[in-house]
Amino acid sequence: MRRVAKWLVLLACVLWPAIQPAGMPHPASAPASADQTFGTEPLAIVVNRSNPVDELSMPELRAIFLGSRGHWSTGRRVTLVMRDIDAPERSVILRDVCGMTEQQFRTHFVRGLYNGEILISPKILASDTGVRRFIFNVPGAIGYLRLSEVDSSVKALRIDEHRPGDKEYKLRAPIQAGN
Amino acid sequence: MRTLSSRSEQSERPHAIGPVTRLLNAVSRQNKFVLIFSLCSGVAIIGILVLRDMRAANSEARQMYTRSVHGLRRIGEVQYEAQETRRCTLYALTTADSNLQVKYADQSRDADQEVKNGIKEFRERASTQYEQQLGTRLEEEWTRYLNVRDEVLALILEGSIPEAVRMDLSNGVPAFERVRQDLLEVQRLYDQDASRRQANLAESSRWSSIKLIGILGSTFLVASFSVIIIQRSRALNAIQLTRLQMEFVASMSHELRTPLAVLNIAADNLADGIVTIPDAVVRYGGIVRRQSRNMTELVDRILMFASTEDRRLHQTLEPLNVSAVLAEIVGTLESRIRDAGFSMTENIEPGLPPVLGNRVAIAQCLNSLIDNAMKYSGASRDIELRAAAAASPGKSASELQITVVDRGTGIDPSDMPKIFEPFYRSPRVQAAQIHGTGLGLSLARRMAESMGGKLSARSEPGRGSAFTLHLNFAAERDDEQDEEIIEDQTEVPRGKKDSSRGG
Repeated sequence: MRRVAKWLVLLACVLWPAIQPAGMPHPASAPASADQTFGTEPLAIVVNRSNPVDELSMPELRAIFLGSRGHWSTGRRVTLVMRDIDAPERSVILRDVCGMTEQQFRTHFVRGLYNGEILISPKILASDTGVRRFIFNVPGAIGYLRLSEVDSSVKALRIDEHRPGDKEYKLRAPIQAGN
Repeated sequence: MRTLSSRSEQSERPHAIGPVTRLLNAVSRQNKFVLIFSLCSGVAIIGILVLRDMRAANSEARQMYTRSVHGLRRIGEVQYEAQETRRCTLYALTTADSNLQVKYADQSRDADQEVKNGIKEFRERASTQYEQQLGTRLEEEWTRYLNVRDEVLALILEGSIPEAVRMDLSNGVPAFERVRQDLLEVQRLYDQDASRRQANLAESSRWSSIKLIGILGSTFLVASFSVIIIQRSRALNAIQLTRLQMEFVASMSHELRTPLAVLNIAADNLADGIVTIPDAVVRYGGIVRRQSRNMTELVDRILMFASTEDRRLHQTLEPLNVSAVLAEIVGTLESRIRDAGFSMTENIEPGLPPVLGNRVAIAQCLNSLIDNAMKYSGASRDIELRAAAAASPGKSASELQITVVDRGTGIDPSDMPKIFEPFYRSPRVQAAQIHGTGLGLSLARRMAESMGGKLSARSEPGRGSAFTLHLNFAAERDDEQDEEIIEDQTEVPRGKKDSSRGG
C-alpha cells in the first residue's frame, strides 16, 4: 500500500507540467518581460529575531532552500517558508538560489522526501504579511521578503557578506505594476 | 401676719424643689432668644452631620463602583481574553493551512496583550500586600503560560503537531490552570471587596438613619424643652406679678385701713358731739387733715405709678435752676422731715448750670427718695442731700447728680437687683414690719427715665444707702441734640426732643 502511494506521488510530479493551464506562464520559465516591470528590488532572506545567525553564504542558503540542511547551529529545526507559486519572489529564489525551475524544485523535494533525504517541506503562505508573521512566530523559520516588506519583527540576513541594500547584493526581485 | 406666714412658706419652698425644677428655674430666667439661638444652632449642627453622612455614603458608593464593580467587569474581560488566547492556540491545532495557523497565532497574541493590560491595571490598583503579591504571581504565571504557548504555536506552525499537543498537555494545560486559578482569586477579591463596601454602605446608611432619628428626637426634645422653659418663664413672671399685686393689695389695705380708722373715730367723735371742747376739735381737725393728706399722697402715688405703667411717659423738659428747684423741694418737705424727727443736710455745689428737667418730676422723684431714706434710716436721723456736677459714665459731657444719702439699715446685696421692681419689698423689710407699697423707688426711677436721666443706688448693709438722680445739663443736652442733627439730618428726633409732646 505504501509503495503504491509513493508511485502515485512520483507520477503526479512527473505529470504536473502537463496539467498546468495552457495560457498561464510559468514564473520560473517565463519571468516578467522588461516592459511589464519597473526595475528590481532587493529580496531579503529573513529569519526569526531569536535566531543567532546573521549571515549565510549562497551555498548555505541553497542547502537550506533545497532541504539539505535541516537544523540551525543551535539545533533548532529549519522551517522553510515560501510564497505561493504565482509569486515572482519565489521564481527569483528558485532561479538565483536553487538554480532550478519550479518543476525541478518540486521533483527534488518529492524525491528527497520519498528517499528520506529531506525531512522538511516548505510552508506555502499567500502573502508577505503571512510570511512575516510566520517567521515571527517560529524561531527556526527562514523565508524571503522584498526589502520594503521587512520590519522589526523579523531579521534580514547578509548573504555572502552583503546586506540586502548593498549594490553587490545578488537577490533582486522585479518590481511589477501593483507591487 | 398672713403676709409673714406666706413669706416664710415661700422661703422654705426652694429647699424642697428638685434639681430639675431648679435647672428649669435657672434657665427660665435666661433670655428666650438664647434658647432660640441654641435651637437654631442645634438644627444647623444636625444639618451639617446629615450632610457629612450623605457625602460619606456617596463617596463609599462611588468607590464601590470605581473599584469593585469596574474591577469585576475588567477581570471578567481579562478572563475572557485569557480563554481567547488559549482557544486561538487550539484552533491553530485544528488546521494544516499555514495561513490560517498564522491568523490564529496573531489572534492569540492580540488576546494575550489584553490580558497583560488587565493584569497591569490590577497591579496598579492593588492596595493590600496580598493583592500586590497576587498581581505579581499572576503576571509571572501568565508569562510562563505565554512561553509555553509560543513554543506550542511554533511547533504547530512548523508542522510538528504531535509535539505541539504533547507540549500543550504537559506544560500548557497546567500553566493555564494556574493562571485561571489566579484570575478566579482576583475575581474573588473584587467580589469580597464589593461585598465589604456594600456592607459598609448599608451600615453607614443604617447609622445615618439612626443618627437622623436620634438627632431629630433630640431636636424635638430641645424644642419642647425650650417651649416649656419659655412658657414657664412667662408663668413665673405672671405668678410673680400676681404675688406682688396680692402683696400690694394687702399692703394697701393695711396702709389705708389705719388712716381710715383714725378718720372714722375722729368723725364719729365729732358727729356724736363727744368732742366739743374747741382745743380738742382743733386737734381732731388736724388729725383728719393729716390723715387725709396721707391718703391723698398714697392715692396720688398709685395713680402716678399707674400713669407711668406703660413706660412711655415723657415729661415736658425745660432748663431749670438747680439750686432754686432743690430749695423749693426741700422747703415743701421741710415740715414733714422735721415732724418725723429727721434733720437734712444740704450740700449743693454752687454755680451749677441749668439742668434739663421737669420741676414736678424732679420733686416727685426726690420726694420718693427722701421718703425712702426716712423709712429705712433705722436709728439714724440724718439725711443728706447732695447736688454736684460729675463726669457722666460713658459720655464725654458732665451731668448733674442729685444724691439722697441715709445712714440707715442699708440694702442686702441680694436685694439690690430687685429694689427698682414695682411692688418689690425685701423679706427683711417685711419682717421688720416697715410699711410701704413697694412703688416708691420704681416710681422714682420712672420719673428719672422720663426726663432722659437715670436713677442709681449704692448701699452697704448697716451703714446706709445713697440714691442718685442723674440728669443732663441743659447746655450740653442742646449740644448733643445739635450733634445728632448734624450727623443725621433725616433721622427722626428722639429722646428729649420728643418731650415737647408732653406726658
